[in-house]
Amino acid sequence: MAENELNQNSLVYLDDIKKSFATNLVLKGVTLKLNPGEIVAIIGGNGAGKSTLMKILMGIYTPDSGDIYIDGEKSSLLSPSISLQKGIYYVPQEPMLFPNMTVEENVLIGMKGNRKELKHRLVELMKKLGWNISLSRTADTLSIAEQQLIEIVRGLLRDSKILILDEPTSSLTFKEIKSLFKIMRDLREQGIGMFYITHRLTEVFEISTHVVLLRDGKITSSGLVADFTKDMLIRGLLPEDIKSSIEKGDMVSGSSCDYSKDSVLELENLSGYGFKDISFKLYPGEILGIAGVVGAGRTELAEAIFGIGEIVSGRVLLNKEDITGYKTVDIVNKGLNYVPEDRHYNGIFSITDVVGNMTSCSLRNLSKFYTDHRKEKEIANKYIQDFRIKVTGHDQMMKSLSGGNQQKVVIARMLATMPRVLVLDEPTRGIDAAARADVYKIIDQLKKEGLAVLLISSDLEEIVELADRSLTMYNGIINGEFKKEHIDIDKLMAASFGVLDKEVI
Amino acid sequence: MKFFVNKFVKNREVTVVLFLLILFSLVGLKNPAFISPSNLMLTLKGSVMYIALAIGMAFVILTKEIDVSVGSILGMSAAVAATMLRNGRGLFSIIIVTLMVGIVSGLVNGIGVTKFKIPSIVMTLGTNGILRGLMFIYTGGKWVENLPDYFKQASQKNIFGSMNAFVFFTFIVMIVIHLYLTKARRGKYFAAVGDNLEGANLVGIKVNFMKILAFVLSGAFASIAGMVYVSQVGFVGNVAGNGAEMTAIASCVLGGVSLNGGLGSVLGATFGAIIMNSINTALVFLKVPAYWNNTISGLLLILIVSSDALISRYLVTSAIKQRLSVKTESNGDSRKEEIGGEINEQI
Amino acid sequence: MSRFKKLLRWEAALVVLLALQIVVFGMINPRFLRLNVLLYSVNDFVSISIISLFVTFVIITGGIDISVGSIIGLSSVVVGILWKMAGFNIFATIPVALLVGALSGAINGFLVAYVGVQAMVATLGTMLLYSGFSLVIMGISGSSAFEGISGMPLAFLNIANGNVFGIPNPFIIFAALIIISYILLHKTKYGRYVFLVGINKNAARYSGIDHKLVTLSTYILSGTSAALAGVILTSYLGSSRPDLGAELTLSIVTAVVLGGTLITGGSGGVIGTALASVIVGILRFGLQMAGISSQYISVGVGLLLIIAVAIKGLSLSNFPRLRKLLERAIRN
Repeated sequence: MAENELNQNSLVYLDDIKKSFATNLVLKGVTLKLNPGEIVAIIGGNGAGKSTLMKILMGIYTPDSGDIYIDGEKSSLLSPSISLQKGIYYVPQEPMLFPNMTVEENVLIGMKGNRKELKHRLVELMKKLGWNISLSRTADTLSIAEQQLIEIVRGLLRDSKILILDEPTSSLTFKEIKSLFKIMRDLREQGIGMFYITHRLTEVFEISTHVVLLRDGKITSSGLVADFTKDMLIRGLLPEDIKSSIEKGDMVSGSSCDYSKDSVLELENLSGYGFKDISFKLYPGEILGIAGVVGAGRTELAEAIFGIGEIVSGRVLLNKEDITGYKTVDIVNKGLNYVPEDRHYNGIFSITDVVGNMTSCSLRNLSKFYTDHRKEKEIANKYIQDFRIKVTGHDQMMKSLSGGNQQKVVIARMLATMPRVLVLDEPTRGIDAAARADVYKIIDQLKKEGLAVLLISSDLEEIVELADRSLTMYNGIINGEFKKEHIDIDKLMAASFGVLDKEVI
Repeated sequence: MKFFVNKFVKNREVTVVLFLLILFSLVGLKNPAFISPSNLMLTLKGSVMYIALAIGMAFVILTKEIDVSVGSILGMSAAVAATMLRNGRGLFSIIIVTLMVGIVSGLVNGIGVTKFKIPSIVMTLGTNGILRGLMFIYTGGKWVENLPDYFKQASQKNIFGSMNAFVFFTFIVMIVIHLYLTKARRGKYFAAVGDNLEGANLVGIKVNFMKILAFVLSGAFASIAGMVYVSQVGFVGNVAGNGAEMTAIASCVLGGVSLNGGLGSVLGATFGAIIMNSINTALVFLKVPAYWNNTISGLLLILIVSSDALISRYLVTSAIKQRLSVKTESNGDSRKEEIGGEINEQI
Repeated sequence: MSRFKKLLRWEAALVVLLALQIVVFGMINPRFLRLNVLLYSVNDFVSISIISLFVTFVIITGGIDISVGSIIGLSSVVVGILWKMAGFNIFATIPVALLVGALSGAINGFLVAYVGVQAMVATLGTMLLYSGFSLVIMGISGSSAFEGISGMPLAFLNIANGNVFGIPNPFIIFAALIIISYILLHKTKYGRYVFLVGINKNAARYSGIDHKLVTLSTYILSGTSAALAGVILTSYLGSSRPDLGAELTLSIVTAVVLGGTLITGGSGGVIGTALASVIVGILRFGLQMAGISSQYISVGVGLLLIIAVAIKGLSLSNFPRLRKLLERAIRN
């Protein structure tokens, strides 16, 4: 009875939403409410299910089960135009403007009504916001911050009652964020409800009324923001049995690295697009972790080292040899290899078999001109066995493997080139627990063999478990370095979110 | 610098008109007969068919697809129209039936591309072959001749003195369509679909519908071009329309309709079509042998497309770089606010 | 099912289709079934077959080459002009023609891989350009493009019209090229790179493969094969003409796609292409023998192309409402 009343008053009521993609259960029963005048911050790690949840609200995905109530009315959000009609507007993290249209056209497109009136309202709104962007500029001439502002204006102008803001401040300056927050407070007074997805914990306390912690497809805690402290939020983001799994320690040998040897990889003030002044040393037999949130610049750094991205200044030294700006194939030959972050886009050859995937990087070393299928099969079978890759045979198609097994194949591919340094970028993202354990064993074995491993990961548990040393990156710079004794999940988390207390390290 | 590059790419209509003026001036200097009013009108008359094709093609390219079947749609439409004329049918039914040829072809193309996910290159290559064969079967391999005079004379009729009627109507139609595409609410959806497919979906545009509509329009305009062909040429041979799609695509590209979708106008496409046609006649007046046609057209097309590709790639990569640089540069600001924020909290 | 098994199924279906074709045409006109008639019929479509073998490489990388028709004409013109006007020994013109084909392919590959122009459009432009070159060369030399150049020495004409132990030369050339292209694509590192680049350009890049160079090379292959076909066609007809092969492009693309190669790239093979090109070629030849004009073939070829691509890409997810209906029906 009371529940019905609550439902009728709320703008959005999501009831036990479940959603899976293929065999991957992304949302495991999410119940969420948004009332008029509320700003609900949604925080969660990478892969927690935030964007899937929002895309369901937006009409891009439909839930497998569970109900959606908009304004107390049960609704089927089958397409974006239906969601728009219901008053839901999504401001994407990456602006989705039309590059060749003017600001005015971008905002007004698809809106019904008198053109002049709409333009007038737009001008008034821009004035009120104090955002000085000429309406006749084309969207591709706008800076990213300006594009983001225009996305927000689009939502505001459409009289949406429900706004979803997906990391809206990631490219805004201090001043712009302040004026955005002022507008958001005005909107609150008008009864508009907002979902606010962010990684920035300080903002949560500054602007939101409620906070929801999403982890692994479930809400772990929620409530008024006033009832939380920063520490509680950080704790809430961590996985459950963390203490116990750290104490387990049986996966990792715990052998320590010999720091008296020469460094095998060294970066000197390396700067490029997305990272600045990066310097560190990596030693043989060491696992160096780099923690941080998505967008911190770690992948850009790794790709630049690997010859994929651009290096603006600074040096990369491999075994004391300067390999700055070398071509990828040369870097591989010199002994450094990289397991890409996005397995799907950059790692996998989906419509060929496991053998083809394993040997793509080392073909040139196997034979001169012809392919030696026998040798390739040998290599494939060796790694299938060593890494416990579950396949029906070496000729199974890559795309029918599970995520974990695919990842093992990609790692095997890079290892087949016998590198001295292996850079792993989110190696256990999106793979099941058993595969993850296997990957940790593999990494541990590499360490025993004297390989140096650069472990880029947003999974802080992983870094705690594996790393001898860890760096943290935030907004493109290194903002923390932790020795093994000091690697502590709370500190890593805090540093990743940019709230590192200075005294700690 | 980026500002000027942008301007050049965006206001291709201006550049294209300039190009046309320069072309005419240069050739006119060498041979003044080229720029005589009667020759100018002749050139425009000869461009009408290509303008119709280019306008239809522009719709498709704006949505980031391509249609290489318009040449055979033209041929088939011409064959149908001519045959009906020869059999003495009424003008109204001739126009309707001929348009249906293009509309149905476009519908087939559109459904194949959107519902069956066949790449538009392949789909329209296939329909191109099918229609070419169907046309042959329909005409029995024979030319369609002995057409009634009234239809053939329609293309020669002048209004307002020496203005050719077809030319006049073509420009009116072109202006109306241009205004629709650039000002009307639904008209902008075509460019939106090609500019950012996902973004268009997010703002509620029915993207599949727009693509199918684009192909239907392309087919319809090819049919109109077919009727113009019949009127101007007077008979329909077996190879009518062969290769016309190349000229249509070239006209669009020259006129600034970008193959990446979302950019360009029928205004530019029209001037592009006029350029393509004028090159042919210009060569005649310059006493350059006609066998230079293809080479010059091909070179022009390649140059334009290449610079299009290079420029847009440059713009995209510099946007990405900027996006990444903002993050590292904002470190100074956020540091200050972190300190300020924390102080406030402790208070 | 592994990729191999899927492809074998498709190729087996093609063999059946080919056999069916021969039987049907044989029933209409029994002369069709005579061995030497069948063998000699290859001459008719050998250009399509040869070129489609190497266009397969291009399409596997995710591209397409519609300028091959013009390269045929260009190579024919090069042969004729060098022989007639520049006094070359006619056999010496052949390597030059092949070089011209390779260069044309290199330009295509450069535009697609390095400049970044879409393959369809780049080769559309070069199609115009290369046919333009042919016309210009003919025009400047004073020869008529309509009449062409003829009167070549018998030895040259024998390339296409002669035979070895009763097997026509073009058939031998075709067979040899099938072997060469098969080895190149399926047995060498290079061929593997072609597939990898086509499956995932990015992953190839991260594996240290120079995807731009690999892509460029496939266009050089297709251009050279077009030039070779041009030489053979010139020998067959005894005439050097700029418009040779202009209408073959549709058949070539159809042969590749019908042969099981994905138009989106990454998967395919030369055996399928070879079989499909024979099917398409025999269709043409058989219709002629049955007294039907070969124009009708373009309807069938066009339909074949669309259906082949549609079947390969068909998936229920494109029809969401239909799928929901079926899911509901299955649950009940």
